[in-house]
Amino acid sequence: MAEVLKKVKHGVWDVFCVEWIWKRFCVDNVYKKFDKWKGWLYLSPAIILLLIFTVWPIFNTVRMAFLEDYNSLLANRPGGWEFEVGFGNFAKVVQYGEFTTCLTNTLLLCVLTVPLSTILALIIAVCLNSIKFLSRFIQTIFFLPYVTNSIAIGMVFAAMFSVVGNFDSGLVDTYGIINNVLGWFGADPIDWMGTGSYTIGEFPWPSYVVMVIYIVWNALPFKILILLGGLQSVNKQYYEAAKVDGTSRTRVFTRITVPLLSPMIAYVVITGFIGGFKEYSSIVGVFGDGMGPIGDAGSLNTMVGFIYDALPQQQLGRASAAALILFGIIFIVTMINLAVSKKKTHY
Amino acid sequence: MKVELQNLTKIFPSRNKKSGEQVVAVNNFTFAIPDGKLVGLLGPSGCGKSTTLYMISGLQQPTAGKIFFGDEDVTELSPENRGIGLVFQNYALYPHMTVKQNILFPLQNLKGEDKMTKEEMLEAAYHAAKLVQIDELMDRKPSELSGGQQQRVAIARALVKMPRVLLLDEPLSNLDARLRLQTREEIRRIQKETGITTIFVTHDQEEAMSISDVIVVMKLGVVQQIGKPQSVYDDPKNLFVAKFLGTPPINVFDGRVEGGKLWLGEDCVLDVPGVEDKPVHVGIRPEGFVPVDDGALVCKLSNVEVMGRDVSIVSTHAASANPVVRSIVDADYNIKVGAESVAFALKPHKVFLFDKETEERIYFGNQKPSDNVEEN
Amino acid sequence: MSENNVNLQAEDIEVKAEARETTEVASPTLNTMAERDMAKITARQKVVKVLVKVALYAFLLTMALIVLFPFYWMLISSVKSLEEYNLAAPTLFPQEFHFDNYTKGFEIAQLDVLFLNTVYVGIVSTALSLVITVISAFAFARLEFKGKNALFAALLATMMIPGELFTITNYQTINNFLGLNSLGRELGSDFLKSIGNWSNTYTVLIIPFLVSVFYIYLLRQNFMQIPNELYLAAKVDGTSDIKYLWKVMIPLALPTIISITILKMMGAWNSYVWPRLVANDDAHKLITNGLRSASFVDEATNMTHYPQQMAAVAIVSLPLFLVFLFLRKYIMKGVSRSGIKG
Repeated sequence: MAEVLKKVKHGVWDVFCVEWIWKRFCVDNVYKKFDKWKGWLYLSPAIILLLIFTVWPIFNTVRMAFLEDYNSLLANRPGGWEFEVGFGNFAKVVQYGEFTTCLTNTLLLCVLTVPLSTILALIIAVCLNSIKFLSRFIQTIFFLPYVTNSIAIGMVFAAMFSVVGNFDSGLVDTYGIINNVLGWFGADPIDWMGTGSYTIGEFPWPSYVVMVIYIVWNALPFKILILLGGLQSVNKQYYEAAKVDGTSRTRVFTRITVPLLSPMIAYVVITGFIGGFKEYSSIVGVFGDGMGPIGDAGSLNTMVGFIYDALPQQQLGRASAAALILFGIIFIVTMINLAVSKKKTHY
Repeated sequence: MKVELQNLTKIFPSRNKKSGEQVVAVNNFTFAIPDGKLVGLLGPSGCGKSTTLYMISGLQQPTAGKIFFGDEDVTELSPENRGIGLVFQNYALYPHMTVKQNILFPLQNLKGEDKMTKEEMLEAAYHAAKLVQIDELMDRKPSELSGGQQQRVAIARALVKMPRVLLLDEPLSNLDARLRLQTREEIRRIQKETGITTIFVTHDQEEAMSISDVIVVMKLGVVQQIGKPQSVYDDPKNLFVAKFLGTPPINVFDGRVEGGKLWLGEDCVLDVPGVEDKPVHVGIRPEGFVPVDDGALVCKLSNVEVMGRDVSIVSTHAASANPVVRSIVDADYNIKVGAESVAFALKPHKVFLFDKETEERIYFGNQKPSDNVEEN
Repeated sequence: MSENNVNLQAEDIEVKAEARETTEVASPTLNTMAERDMAKITARQKVVKVLVKVALYAFLLTMALIVLFPFYWMLISSVKSLEEYNLAAPTLFPQEFHFDNYTKGFEIAQLDVLFLNTVYVGIVSTALSLVITVISAFAFARLEFKGKNALFAALLATMMIPGELFTITNYQTINNFLGLNSLGRELGSDFLKSIGNWSNTYTVLIIPFLVSVFYIYLLRQNFMQIPNELYLAAKVDGTSDIKYLWKVMIPLALPTIISITILKMMGAWNSYVWPRLVANDDAHKLITNGLRSASFVDEATNMTHYPQQMAAVAIVSLPLFLVFLFLRKYIMKGVSRSGIKG
């Protein structure tokens, strides 16, 4: 006992109050005697599953990406297979013709949909925040696309844009509801879904428009919800102060609302980009597994689609390399986003 | 139930492995709490009083030492097997349960022989609720109760198992001033009615003195003094205890003893026979001052506060360790208008001398240490 | 803002009253002039306010209609005849109702099997996932053990990595170690054999995604808000961890748990990629995969029978809408708090 006490320095007491000691030592102490292993026991199911399905994949994907032409059929031969180490998978991915299409599609869809949906969501959120009557009802309507099966509703979009019949020859039953609505404004019908003859390699802008509309429609609810939540938590006093000063509505929007909302805006932009780079199932929803118009399959394929296409072919080296490239792009873009938002956000 | 603490010590290891410093929360605490008494553990923040309480409850294990309930060594027992009731500072009522469910909760955990039927549980719950006078509120949720009512629910929950020892952690700190007065009477009454040995922790000396049978003054993990409230007040064992007890606080002077006389600065104020010549701390209770025209202690008068029954004279003195000297005298005493100074004689039993180095009490004249723990 | 407008008007009136008080003493003519000006300004402000409000509602309702239109189109198309659907000028309201599209669509897409599969996978995976999430969150929030913080940080770090990266190896794991081309089978490993063939089973749809680090994190944060004294109080009363979890923590964190449950169920209902990769046989196909791959081509005309397809889509969408209708609060709260998409 005496030896133990000698080691003790009483000076600490003058510095720290009892609450600190309490939080730091006492609370934990209760469990120490009984619970040394209980924590690990409780976490064991989660840890085991994570080790198999999350941690191992991280290492394995990196490993496979750097083994030349890694192919799971070869790897699983009795006795195994020796793969050389190298950057070959990456080189092949980049040289692969399809990859360029996938990369440009992904980037283009991101660049088009994220700003569009963010601005639209911001405007809608601000409007929603400034009405009282029916506000909750309209808010609920705007949230509806969130609770949908993106593949199922993708099929509805496909139906809306589809032309039934032969577009090229003009023997058409119906140009579809969208073409008809546009026709009321005097527009010519467009072969949105590319059912007609297709010049392969030509930029398929109609199908892009369909995808942009669908992705924005799908992305709106989440963004509106977050932005509206942000708006509602903004202190009303700022607006009252602006009103006292006679600030115009536009100035209130650009000088007060947007700056105060900047963290939320940054958040939806970043999550939007991350989601955008992983775009896949919405395209499946509208265009099916072919990832493009029937005549031009794969023309709307994305990075994630590229990865998944390689799996049934057992080309895991290629898939892994592409996944790492995708991860790298997402990482870099997120970092840029964060850096920009740090400069621009006002908190 | 008698509660006995033997050399109770609690050392917390430092989380900072590099410095390796440890913290002694409670140091070698030995004390027997007599059966059926209300004991107050008193001290400033960080004195180890809460840790002591948690060790008695079993929520913390002592590093060394033993705890006995009666003749039974409970040091190794887990909390639920000790037969204690614990009331937390923030009450820790389950917010989603009604008052009734909260009070029933401890009973539902009983196993084996102690297991009760539903009727018995309800009866016990209502009995406890009646005791603290909340039987009208049984179907409310804690959020619908006032602070004082929540406190009572917490006490009822602690009492429902009829514990051998009731422990209260800062029971009054979350209440406003008026409720505090009322609740401390209430605690006293409940304790008297049930006769359960009760230990409570507080940093408020007034609270501790007003209801405790025995108070334990602690500082930095070390017990300073144990005794009946009045005798601790009248006979502080060291400077810390003297300073900690009493409102207004004791006046401390830098003094010296020369030839059996006590000097404060230039004033020779008191005969202190039997004390060797040396510098000392001098503590004088506010009520120890008697204003007389030819008083030995001459202070510069700065203010007189009339408080009805008493008059508080605020003055300054060169030897005072505090900025002002505050004395309380009878309201009959009239200060001369425009007087610049006031002279006091001192009541010897209200004057305490303390060693400069150890801050331990130095007795003089017919002062003698009282050991009042045994008296209980 | 409408509330603020009301406030503003109230302020206007106050200002007017004040103006009158001050000017009355100075000069009575000024008073009336000031009042007239003030009245003009407030009248103009009122007109602007009404116009702005009309514009706001017009915009919002238009946008709402655009958002709703696909649902409307789905519903009316699903009851049209194929002939009506294919009219050159589409009708915005069906001329006659063909509810048999629903039975046909249901049959063609084999929705009965798909429904049962998806419900089974959804319920089992949600239940197991909840158990794992709750006990993990409890361990992180309330228990103290060596390496806790490091483990928690490591878990959070995995959230940064896109799920596609895991899918590749998991696909390999399922197919090559636990599946058809099992390495274990060829090597004669008894252990791997005993695990069995995972390809095209419910197990493979359930197990790999049972643990969601994000839900553990979410629930842990919620658990941490519960004061520790409640745990100590329960300890004094001899409450076991499990009973405390069940009686105190779960009831207090119920809104979060409900949100997690709904989101997890919705996840199962909407999952597409993983089932397509590992369990795409007819017996285990999930609803989304089945719907997408079903062929609605009309045999007689060799045209896609959109009404039947829309009917099937409507049936698949219905459960989600019902869930949303009754549990909107939890879904919206869960989504905004968790900030996850899809």
